[in-house]
Amino acid sequence: MPYEAMSPSDDEDLLAAYAAGDAAAARALTQRLAPRVFAHAFRMLGGDRAEAEDVAQEALLRLWRAAPGWRRGEAKVTTWLYRVTANLCIDRRRRSRGTTDLEAVPELVDGAASVADGLQQRARAEALQRALDGLPARQRQAVILRHIEGLANPEIAQIMDIGIRAVESLVARGKRALEAALTGRRAELGYDDDD
Amino acid sequence: MTDRKDDRDDRGAADSAKLESFFAAGRAEKPRPDGDFLARMESAALAEQPAARPVPVAPVAHRPGFLGHIREVLGGWTGVAGLVAAGAAGIWIGVSPPDGLTVFWSVDASGLGALGVDPLGGFDLSLVEG
Repeated sequence: MPYEAMSPSDDEDLLAAYAAGDAAAARALTQRLAPRVFAHAFRMLGGDRAEAEDVAQEALLRLWRAAPGWRRGEAKVTTWLYRVTANLCIDRRRRSRGTTDLEAVPELVDGAASVADGLQQRARAEALQRALDGLPARQRQAVILRHIEGLANPEIAQIMDIGIRAVESLVARGKRALEAALTGRRAELGYDDDD
Repeated sequence: MTDRKDDRDDRGAADSAKLESFFAAGRAEKPRPDGDFLARMESAALAEQPAARPVPVAPVAHRPGFLGHIREVLGGWTGVAGLVAAGAAGIWIGVSPPDGLTVFWSVDASGLGALGVDPLGGFDLSLVEG
């Protein structure tokens, strides 16, 4: 079966092939995992592309080095990668600046102009990114994994190494904070106050 | 009181729906790495990859040919050389026996004629005939 056609559950098979020296498996895994790792790092790091690339590179490097000793069935490859990526992001943020003040983040998109140009979606995504950036790291991680990456709570619990109840609590608190942060931006992002 | 709680619930549901529209926008606007980055990641993956494990090849059992088999049965080259030497010596003695050898080996000296070998003795005949 061509590697491109394999399902995500075959990541472990691909990793075993990688460890055995199969160059096609190396390419297939990179194409499959690098965009995902990059996107997660990008969101965790407040949209900093250069930082996200650095983190993604480091996370993938760790995966390649872990491949020969990978124990099948212990954890999904993506679960392991999400965990490594998030930890790298949190460490990096902690070292560099701590929690970002939401009000201090410069506006990159003129909301009214975006609406006029039919770019509400992009404006909303960017507003969400800024609101996420104002959350504590663990809340941000939980909300991103649950509502953007679309993972189930048990998998998030594995990634974050906490219980399912704790995941639910982090997500609920994160969403409340997001609602509060985004309330003032609805009008400029194309929402009526009445709806 | 109940009305106020219902109002709060309705507002909460509306807020969740609005938040979901932000999440939907976030999912749709997925950050994508550029081609250069992916190419670098692919190169790094290949550079870190363990060397391909050689496919184990079963050692080919050495099967000697017919002559080799004979040689082994005879005890290798030493045995073959000894056998050849003995055969050559036998032919030489048979064709042109050395003078000194006739003292020990002649028809008269061997005494075969005197033995009078009887291939079918009377005792054997009596057994056959009953």
